[in-house]
Amino acid sequence: MVAPVVYFQWALFALLFLSQAALVAIFLARKSWRAYPAFFSYILLNLVQGGALFAIYRSRGFSSDLAQYFGWASQGAIILARALAIAELCRHLLARYSGIWALTKRLIFVCGVALALYSVFAAGRRWDTGVLKADRGLELTIIVVIVVLFLCARNYGIAASPIIHALALGFCLNSAFWVLNDAILEQKFAPYDALWNILNALTYLATLLLWIWTFRNPLPDAEVDPTLLPRDVYRVMAPEVNVRLRLLNESLSKLYKAEARRS
Amino acid sequence: MSLFLLSIFFLVALLLGVFLLSSRHSWRLSRLPGDPVAFEECELHHATHLPQIRQALSETDNEFLTKRGSSVLRRRVHRERRGVVLGYLRELRRDFEKQLQIARIIAALSPEVTAVQEWERLRLTLKFIWQYEIIRMQLQAGLAPLPRLSGLANIVSGLSVRMENAIKELGERAAMATELASALDRGGVDHI
Repeated sequence: MVAPVVYFQWALFALLFLSQAALVAIFLARKSWRAYPAFFSYILLNLVQGGALFAIYRSRGFSSDLAQYFGWASQGAIILARALAIAELCRHLLARYSGIWALTKRLIFVCGVALALYSVFAAGRRWDTGVLKADRGLELTIIVVIVVLFLCARNYGIAASPIIHALALGFCLNSAFWVLNDAILEQKFAPYDALWNILNALTYLATLLLWIWTFRNPLPDAEVDPTLLPRDVYRVMAPEVNVRLRLLNESLSKLYKAEARRS
Repeated sequence: MSLFLLSIFFLVALLLGVFLLSSRHSWRLSRLPGDPVAFEECELHHATHLPQIRQALSETDNEFLTKRGSSVLRRRVHRERRGVVLGYLRELRRDFEKQLQIARIIAALSPEVTAVQEWERLRLTLKFIWQYEIIRMQLQAGLAPLPRLSGLANIVSGLSVRMENAIKELGERAAMATELASALDRGGVDHI
């Protein structure tokens, strides 16, 4: 007698497979893969992984060793593809502003490397919990990278297009749920074990639906790159503005101290 | 629930919150950097009101009221002047923000940006906001007497004049850069 939860899992995986196939079809029909090749590769890889897992589950069972090993091993390739897709997202948002992009790239690199190193150290040498911890750390890295990217964009008043926003939101939500799920699973809550896969699949399904909705229309024409200023403008103006802002701050500071003395 | 789980939940919620706030802000921005209207709106306005503010804060007025006026009148004048100073502080902050906006536009449209300058501006901005809020709260609570703001205003006005000159120069340079780019698109630079 097959438990109802197993039927639910099958239905969910079928739905995931169909959603991914739909997204790939939309990308091919709209030729959106030209603008977002890394993201397209990520979805395609997920589709292939899903198909392979489906075949393994049917032939060897859901809890077989092969399913476990293939699932985790292919996850490495998926994470790499996702990293490339996120790099593409960053480029789409900021690459037109070369100065800001150069600065943000360094910031993201430092944050990314620091968190990735933390993930490796946190993983330790145990296979069973190590993968889980490394996965959690890497998902956290993805969220931090996206947050840093959008903070930089916000700081310079650079607006994200709805497509970039939807992509980032999807990646962020997906990674956030992975982090939470990994953390809960790591605590070895026995009843949660069965739910873990379902919750991750549901999260990914929601993300896929968001992306399908976003990419349902043809992509708008590429935006024209802004005309950049001559190099010396920034070199002259940036220190000038900072000196003035510092003076303004010092005056406020004196004002504050004077008021503190008087009162 | 363990402390570990709680901290993970908190961290994830915090990161998502920051993401939503920052993305919502950038989503709502209707103007991209480089929009000439944004440059035009960065003129400073507070400097034109400086003589009135000086008058409102003059010690002689205060002394006169102390000698001749009633205590009720003095209190009322003091309260109104506090309102004027608060309004003036708000304008100063607006001017500060406008300068920051110009600086951001310049940074966004520059092919090279140095981390030192950007961090310095961020630090100065945070410091300004902190001090501004403290002074404002003190004034609102009536804890501080009316401050002398002329020195402060002179600094912003000085900045204004130099920035306006710089913006004019920027506009000319940007126009030249656009002309050059369009000439290159047409297949060659126009010879004069």
